[in-house]
Amino acid sequence: MKKIQTILVVMAAMMALTACEKVSPIGVLVSGTGVEDRVKMSHLYFQQHKGEGHFFDISGKDEYSFIIGADSHMTTDGGRMREMLQNGLDHDDLLYAHLGDMADTKPEYYINLENVISEYKWKFARKYFEELFLGNDESVEERENPDFYMYKDSLTGMVYSVDDVPMPFFPVVGNHDITHNGWAQWSNIFHSSFYEVLVQIKSEPLTLDRFIFLDTANGTLGEEQVNLIEEDGYALREYLETNIRNTFVFSHTNIFRPSSLQFASTFAREETFFLLNQFHKWDATIVFCGHVHKWDEQVVDNVHYITLDSMSERNSPNPGDYLLRVHVKANGELTWERVRMNYTKK
Amino acid sequence: MKNLIISIVFTALMMPVLAQNSFNGQHKYDGEHKNELSGYVMCGHNIVTAFFGGLEVSYKRHLTDRWHVGVDAQSQFGKQLYSNDVHGGYRLPIGWSDFYFDGKVLYNRYQRWDTNEIIANISITWEIPYFNLRIGESLIHFHTRHFGYTEPLTFTFGTGVNIRPRWNSWNLGLFFRNYDDFYYENWNINWGLDFYASLTKQMKLFGEFNVRPAGSMSQLASKYETSGKLGIKYVW
Repeated sequence: MKKIQTILVVMAAMMALTACEKVSPIGVLVSGTGVEDRVKMSHLYFQQHKGEGHFFDISGKDEYSFIIGADSHMTTDGGRMREMLQNGLDHDDLLYAHLGDMADTKPEYYINLENVISEYKWKFARKYFEELFLGNDESVEERENPDFYMYKDSLTGMVYSVDDVPMPFFPVVGNHDITHNGWAQWSNIFHSSFYEVLVQIKSEPLTLDRFIFLDTANGTLGEEQVNLIEEDGYALREYLETNIRNTFVFSHTNIFRPSSLQFASTFAREETFFLLNQFHKWDATIVFCGHVHKWDEQVVDNVHYITLDSMSERNSPNPGDYLLRVHVKANGELTWERVRMNYTKK
Repeated sequence: MKNLIISIVFTALMMPVLAQNSFNGQHKYDGEHKNELSGYVMCGHNIVTAFFGGLEVSYKRHLTDRWHVGVDAQSQFGKQLYSNDVHGGYRLPIGWSDFYFDGKVLYNRYQRWDTNEIIANISITWEIPYFNLRIGESLIHFHTRHFGYTEPLTFTFGTGVNIRPRWNSWNLGLFFRNYDDFYYENWNINWGLDFYASLTKQMKLFGEFNVRPAGSMSQLASKYETSGKLGIKYVW
């Protein structure tokens, strides 16, 4: 009994001693970069790259659409991720959003993910941009190598290498993306975990649809992000004086649990109510969530909350309606449809 | 300032009829006293609300050696959270163990976000001299502006160990649970240290250091709230 008492006292002392700002007492349950650091890095990056690939002008078009997937948990098999991107490409979606847990943290899985993203950047560039071949026409090897191509966006006049092509793929970060210090890998590919995308519907008067991507991987926004949200201190703040028509919010962590058997962490009480209140203030149209691998749909305070199933071939091995496509008409009317995925592991 | 005054008045009005019941595993019932009156002050830091402080008062009545009822209330400044509850339970002693079968109905007013929350909880607690374990279920309904939402049933769990037996005049313990005096969470845990020390035969000093991370069960616990409580309990 003495031994148990000694162990308990030592454990208690260790926890008390680690209760300082630099070494958080919750460190016994934490690994990797915290949300505060991620948000600071993301916000700084986004400020410095303001508007790069985050602004779309669809003035004069009758409709646009965007596709959403969640929890791909990619490992060695990129089949489902390819299927999502191909679906978006085939359907001419304006943007592709991903609700986090893209890969399962190991470096080799992120290399696979980056390869798939690069593959589709090339496909995207070939479909939408003017191609400039810089190699030897007679070399088959060079013709099949993306490094020998440049792509010109005829709308902006910008010229890109394949690596720099602004494919409109917008992910949020999930808890599996950053455990075991995965943020270093995630940020190397996607740079920012907290950002905003704007779609111009018409210029007179300036009317925008707003897409807000939140960093909720830790199950909390963190103090920095709460402050930025309360100040509405996003990177594209100058546009907020304009008419915002629809606001779409993307969060990895879900707000509502689909059933009592969903045991993944959701937001703590105060933060749940803070978010519900904030979504109301933003007049959010739809809040998209992932994390629990279970479809759920709620309407609370005139805001739609849609939680998507996992698109991972491991979690959802059979074909199913794992993706979601939202259609937005010029008059602001919205419809959405669930999109089937057919890929199964070979 | 207005909220501060409201909070003080609210707490003062509730003082005569209040109680707290969260320190299972440390205050073994002596079978003699009938009444317990306690109160604590708290302060801490929360990610959303930053610094907060608060007052809590409790009253518990042992109707018999086995049956007890009580009421609790708190007011947290900063969070603008006002709570009260009623609870009751039955104690079943078996050998070294005590089993508690408890029920509680709790009301929370989150003034800052114009949200009211009502929670019904039932739980079973097993206590032995150095250890306790609680499991239960909570039904949570909240109402924000004009919209109400009832959450799926929420599983309640908690456990604690202490370095001296529960009847000792002082104690120090560790706890791990997904609830606190005035909230029940989904899979968000809070953990920390608690203690008590007898000042007189009828009076105890007690306190708690509480760490409440977010996302703990998603393998990615992150700083959310850290708080401390210090209080006095008087029995007669």
